Amino acid sequence: MKKQTIIVRIEISTLISSEGKINRRKMDRLAMVLTNLHNSGKHVMVVSSGAIVLGTEKLKLQTMPDNQLEMQAAAAVGQAELIRWYQHSFDEYNQIIAQVLLTSDIMHYPQRVKNTRNTFNRLLDMSIIPIINENDSVSTADIEIDDNYPLALMVAEIAQADFIVIKMEMDNKYLIVLRGDRPALLVDGETELQEKLESFCQVMIPDDNMEMGQFPASIGEIIF
Amino acid sequence: MMRRKGWEMEYRDVLKNKHRIVVKIGTSSLSYPNGRMNFQSIERLAYVLSAIRGNGTQVMLVTSGAIGVGAGRLGLTEKPRELDKKQALAAVGQAELMKIYQKFFEEYNQTVAQVLLTKDVVTIHSRNQNAKRTLIKLLDMNIIPIINENDTIATNEIEFGDNDTLSAIVATLVDADLLVILSDIDGLYSADPRTETSAEIIHSVLEITPELEQLATGAGSSFSTGGMVTKISAAKICLKDGIDCLITSGSDPAIIFDILQGKEVGTHFVAQNENLINHA
Repeated sequence: MKKQTIIVRIEISTLISSEGKINRRKMDRLAMVLTNLHNSGKHVMVVSSGAIVLGTEKLKLQTMPDNQLEMQAAAAVGQAELIRWYQHSFDEYNQIIAQVLLTSDIMHYPQRVKNTRNTFNRLLDMSIIPIINENDSVSTADIEIDDNYPLALMVAEIAQADFIVIKMEMDNKYLIVLRGDRPALLVDGETELQEKLESFCQVMIPDDNMEMGQFPASIGEIIF
Repeated sequence: MMRRKGWEMEYRDVLKNKHRIVVKIGTSSLSYPNGRMNFQSIERLAYVLSAIRGNGTQVMLVTSGAIGVGAGRLGLTEKPRELDKKQALAAVGQAELMKIYQKFFEEYNQTVAQVLLTKDVVTIHSRNQNAKRTLIKLLDMNIIPIINENDTIATNEIEFGDNDTLSAIVATLVDADLLVILSDIDGLYSADPRTETSAEIIHSVLEITPELEQLATGAGSSFSTGGMVTKISAAKICLKDGIDCLITSGSDPAIIFDILQGKEVGTHFVAQNENLINHA
């Protein structure tokens, strides 16, 4: 049976303090949960925002940048910081990660989509967790600071993922988003997250030929 | 007419006054032949670039090495051949490589940024402008951008010649006035120095002639991992845009200090400059 692929969407606001500093305890917890999910036999991919916030903090800018150029510069600095944090945290659990930066226009180029899919598959086969973000420093599209759900959707499309899991602001709360018109499920704690994912996996038809429907196109369209 | 030696020294003088430089470092300068990282070399590079930046010169680093570092991280002893495996290793290694650069540059209180480019920066105008503006903004903020190819989504760029071409594209993109390519040879030779005892390093090149290109493809073609051919073509791109290009050995990155002091090291591809030509 094909391994289930789970996209976990992280917003940096769930991992930082009000001063914009990384909360190490939360970061560590997240790395543990994701490594554990991976160890349980799932393919795990992380879509994480945070480059601009961390870049702003690193550069000691007083306020969040308000123009695109400053945001892109902050993103170039902050992405390096962000990935370093993920590395540190995952290292504790002996889990290797990779950095993948995407621009949304790759969807227009079938060859790039195919290549990216091959890379994802190869990483997953090698037991590596890819940490994906938008390549903001060169992107031509408007930078979306808060909402990286569209990127998660794009990754789900490329990787043909089964679930999108959203880490919620409240501690230990996760939202499991399913394909089709099925309601999303808010779960409390990692144990429940794991249990629910298992039971969903069993309900779902293991063959990938089955029409599973689309993921909700935006956060607003998620049914509860 | 001045003696040849005099000419060359005069050309070197222009290198004393550079404000925006791109430094490209190859895998061979970042790691040992066994594939393991040469931290001392990277440490030294961070020191030299931070010092130059501290002195007011804007610096960008184009780095190779992600695949090698990724292979090391995963304990692989052989470099992969398949494209998707290379791309996977690059995704692992790029994160690792940036961590190492950050660590060493932090020692000198120098902020760095990561910029990953795809070859389409050359062809897509809007992306071109965005990458350019971001890089220049970073330079203006006293940050050293560390640039590599975004291998993960590339199609065949990964075979792009050890980033030599990318470094030249970056130099033209940001209107740099000098590109320094550090590799495992100390310059372009008149013949293969391993077999010809008469081989001499060519210190100044005013024009890339077919004969010169023949030198790169001919006897001495296997000097370096990236090959001399891609370095000459990088120099060509630079000269076309009036950017000086210098090819030399990266075994000690402090050689960049010598270059910027006008010392006669490596091979200098001299950009056409009205004043200099008239003067000569």
